[in-house]
Amino acid sequence: MRFADAVEFALGSLRKRRLRTFLTASGVMIGIGALVSMISFGKGMQKNVTDAFKASDLLSTLVVMPGGAEPPAGDPDRQRPRAKVPARPDVVLDDQAVAAIAKIPGVLRAYPDISFPAMVGYEGAEELRLIQVVPAAVAASRSMKITWGRAYASDEEAGVVVSRSLLRRMGTSDPASAVGKTIRITSVSVDLGRLATLDLGSILSGTASPLAQESYDFPILGVTDVAPFGGEANLTESGVLIPPGPAGRIKRLPITSIWDLFRMKGGRLGYSAVTVKLGSLGDLGAVRSKVHDMGYATFALADQFDEITRAFYVMDMVLAAVGMIAIIVAALGIVNTMVMSILERFREIGIMKAVGAGDRDIRRIFFFESGAIGFAGGAAGCVLGWVTSLVINRVVNFYLARQGMPFVNYFAFPFWIFLGAVGFSLLVSLVSGIYPARRASRVDPVVALRHD
Amino acid sequence: MNPPAPPLIETRSLSKTYLVGDVRVAALADVTLAVPEGSFLAVTGASGSGKSTLLNLLGGLDTPSAGTIEVGGALVSAMDREALARYRRFAAGMIFQSFNLVAARTALENVELPLIFAGVNRTERKRRAAELLGKVGLAHRANHRPPELSGGEQQRVAVARALANGPRLLLADEPTGNLDSRTSREIVGLLAGLNRERNLTIIMVSHEEGLVREFAREIVRLQDGRIVAAESPA
Repeated sequence: MRFADAVEFALGSLRKRRLRTFLTASGVMIGIGALVSMISFGKGMQKNVTDAFKASDLLSTLVVMPGGAEPPAGDPDRQRPRAKVPARPDVVLDDQAVAAIAKIPGVLRAYPDISFPAMVGYEGAEELRLIQVVPAAVAASRSMKITWGRAYASDEEAGVVVSRSLLRRMGTSDPASAVGKTIRITSVSVDLGRLATLDLGSILSGTASPLAQESYDFPILGVTDVAPFGGEANLTESGVLIPPGPAGRIKRLPITSIWDLFRMKGGRLGYSAVTVKLGSLGDLGAVRSKVHDMGYATFALADQFDEITRAFYVMDMVLAAVGMIAIIVAALGIVNTMVMSILERFREIGIMKAVGAGDRDIRRIFFFESGAIGFAGGAAGCVLGWVTSLVINRVVNFYLARQGMPFVNYFAFPFWIFLGAVGFSLLVSLVSGIYPARRASRVDPVVALRHD
Repeated sequence: MNPPAPPLIETRSLSKTYLVGDVRVAALADVTLAVPEGSFLAVTGASGSGKSTLLNLLGGLDTPSAGTIEVGGALVSAMDREALARYRRFAAGMIFQSFNLVAARTALENVELPLIFAGVNRTERKRRAAELLGKVGLAHRANHRPPELSGGEQQRVAVARALANGPRLLLADEPTGNLDSRTSREIVGLLAGLNRERNLTIIMVSHEEGLVREFAREIVRLQDGRIVAAESPA
């Protein structure tokens, strides 16, 4: 029997039982549709995270940390994960070290993470924030996403960049209107004159304080949009970026948190971290080992990224497993339909055998029938899964847009999802067809011809 | 006088027993038979005498419990399932009392069936099927489905289908059982004509004594699965 004839036989008998073929294929369609939308959801999430990482340049960033006392677990000032290679406890991360790191081949720039707590005032609202000191070169880089206004032109320009979310918290819904307005930064510093007039006893008992507040006004030069994972310097945390020049003129305490005091070595504090921008991700290993040789610990988001990729792999498996339940139900539907079909066509099978059909011919016909159901159901399932995802995406985005969230595609459809789904559906249907096809081929023609 | 033709079919001590519950029932016992090529042999006997069992064994639809069947030098009784399918496809055509046409297929498509399983391409098998339908006088009914055909027409389609792959042997199991006497005579006449013109060997199971005596050249009578009489009426 020729291949084309077997296909024609199979399609002919499916056409004869239109309703049942349709219902069985619908089962497959729903199963494949569920699987396709599940996997595309997993892929969509993965793509969103990956794209965000890539867009924010975080992957080619290395954070260098000194050794010494670590803040206790759970301290909100210190959320950075611990480095894999520990730092030598005796080295200090100072300006000299930053300059040395910047000279390592492959390093684009290195700048210390400097931040200090301050009260931020804007149009009557006040909020305590960590002010982030960021060089102009970094503030102007694409990872900052300054959507309204501009970045500061030099490290000396007196002006700040704020985040849209900070403005929203402070009661401004139109970020464009904030550009050019003034923001007030109030910091705390030690008042030496006052310190001299106080006696040690009252300072230690807490009844008098040598600390003083001082306020500085800066124009808002630019506003950054919400980046899903912050920028190079973590804007979602700080919300205010200031160039090093004006920052140096703000009187403030030399520490960000009380834990910094425990890191001091021989009276020298150094920086708590230095951000290192790499020319490319490929330089990461080499730069990192040089920094380790200098005695510092490092942390790279690229490591986390590998872990995230692994987590997504697990998520895909879980989603696929849920989708598989529907596929198994559909497969049972195929088996049921095909076995019913044998009973109905018992006599026809006998006739075909009597005129010379071999076991293999009968097997083939039944095999192709279940294959055709799987193929049609799989193709329809791809369309169903795609349409379902589009609808869900619209609905979810509609609600999120009301809360000011940007439009996000929660589903991704790489081409292989469709090919894989149709192929998988075909495979499942063929496997489902094995038993019915075998059973049909074993029909005894003598019994079948006697059958009415 | 011509020397006797070599036998096309030879059975030796052919037996078939069925297990009905725990009881063994012998449908056919120790049948030894030689049928020369070009014969028109009628097998008669009461119902349950083993006629159809004998025909199913000769047609390769069933396998014997004991004994051998040789057709054209090939040991049919030793064939596996695939070889038996090939034997049915090419060597032995069969027609039945209830015609056994596929109701959803036209006359032409029914005749095409054995050609499909023989792997004949579409154009060639359409041509051959149409030619065969013409030979049995049904060229004008080619595109009708069995329910639209009379009993006689259906049996003619079945004859055309049985001849599709050019077998040397045609087995007819009560071919006139569902037909009126006039049509019955036409059908057996058609078989007799094929027997004469093509030297086609025909074995026909029938209990219509008149038709058998008129057309068959040899008659074998079965009783309780055994041959009890053989005669040549002509």
